[in-house]
Amino acid sequence: MTDADLPPAGPPDVDLNRVWIGVAGQVWRRRPGRLERSAAALLRSPGLARALLTTPSLLVPWLLASIAVLGVGAAATFSTGEPIVTMLAPAVAAAGIGYAYGPGIDPAWELSASMPISDRMVLLVRALVVFAVYAVLGLAASAASGIAAALTFGWLIPMTVVSGLALAAATVARSANVGVAAGLSGWTIMVLAWRAADGRFTAAITYTAPRATVYLVLAALCGITVLCAPRVRKGTS
Amino acid sequence: MNIDIADVTRQFGRTRAVAGVSLRTGSGVFGLLGPNGAGKTTLLRMMATVISPSSGSMRLLDRDPGSHAARREIRRRLGYLPQSLGYYPGFTVAEFVEYFALLKEMPSRQVPGAVATAIERVDMGSKARAKLRTLSGGMLRRVGIAQAIVNEPELLLLDEPTAGLDPEQRVEFRSLLRELGVLATVVVSTHLVEDVGAACGEVALMDAGRLVFHGTPDELTSRGVGHSVGDAPLERGYSAVLAAARS
Repeated sequence: MTDADLPPAGPPDVDLNRVWIGVAGQVWRRRPGRLERSAAALLRSPGLARALLTTPSLLVPWLLASIAVLGVGAAATFSTGEPIVTMLAPAVAAAGIGYAYGPGIDPAWELSASMPISDRMVLLVRALVVFAVYAVLGLAASAASGIAAALTFGWLIPMTVVSGLALAAATVARSANVGVAAGLSGWTIMVLAWRAADGRFTAAITYTAPRATVYLVLAALCGITVLCAPRVRKGTS
Repeated sequence: MNIDIADVTRQFGRTRAVAGVSLRTGSGVFGLLGPNGAGKTTLLRMMATVISPSSGSMRLLDRDPGSHAARREIRRRLGYLPQSLGYYPGFTVAEFVEYFALLKEMPSRQVPGAVATAIERVDMGSKARAKLRTLSGGMLRRVGIAQAIVNEPELLLLDEPTAGLDPEQRVEFRSLLRELGVLATVVVSTHLVEDVGAACGEVALMDAGRLVFHGTPDELTSRGVGHSVGDAPLERGYSAVLAAARS
């Protein structure tokens, strides 16, 4: 029996390469869960949703961002209660989160910086996630501790709300700058409202030492984890 | 012209990394040669819109990257492989390429097919579900190339793409470059003169932040006639142009 006698390997009009690519694409793809699909719909961007859900897997940047958030909370608590400290606190926290996910810490920063999805949009998403996770943990701890409740309601929840506002504005306007402006305006209004209600600025972040100690202990734990984190977490070739 | 840059400079503090470079090129494979510290990577990073020029004008894909909307459009049509590819070690090859396909704002429906095509084009199909932390340097380089080409870019910027590839893979990669260069502008920064000779239609040579040669590989070769430094004709041309620029 010669080759000419054998039946053809497949129908002559089938492009096997194309078929394989179709099959491989379906086999290799990462199927988004319900959370990612919801985030993609809310953010109007599957890429931003994926960046959001990637955030917790970036352990070192995540912990550094946590240090920034909790450290700023401690600094504000130890302050003299001057309005300027409270007003600047979210900007300092945002700068810390930005640094944590910036060049030198986030291994793929250089690539991310060349992507059409603005790195500032990704930063807004990550800031919201950092605050939201700590707010949820704080709420859980609030059942057991009055101090935790004060920290949660005085710093973490307001900042989660402000981050959410900033992200919503940025998503609707399709501009990270608009989001940042909305977030800062929201925070200013919130601080002024607290002052109007209490007659002083320090209602939001109280200055009692035990509360500040909780911030510092949590920040220190994050710091220790960063130092002990395996080097393999960050890769470059 | 997909790349049209005029008198571009880039300063880092007191150091001038790129000093008045002008370049115009359309589709095809463009080789960027030069010694370490010549400014190749800085020029590529400016073209990738990662950093902006200190002075001079730049148009990419007929758009001004200085404007936010135009920069976003350029980035959708751009592929970029940095010199040092940062990656997330816990991602699989397919997840990594898919992540950047999504960040490039590719339509979701096209992403699975585009990811599979890109991975197969760099011959990484057998490792598609392997974690990046388990791959060799050459394999990681190929994954980097896959993420760069996943959106079928009109402008592809590759910084040292063949670093870590074995000879067989380099031959295959040059063939891929020629294929990509039919429709797109492919800029390849490299130390390896033989890559330029085999794959590039045009070549530029940088030294101390300046462009000291721009022409075809044959023209570069002809500059080396009578020059003794270098093992291959193109290497002799490279050395002769550098020597002339420094004299």
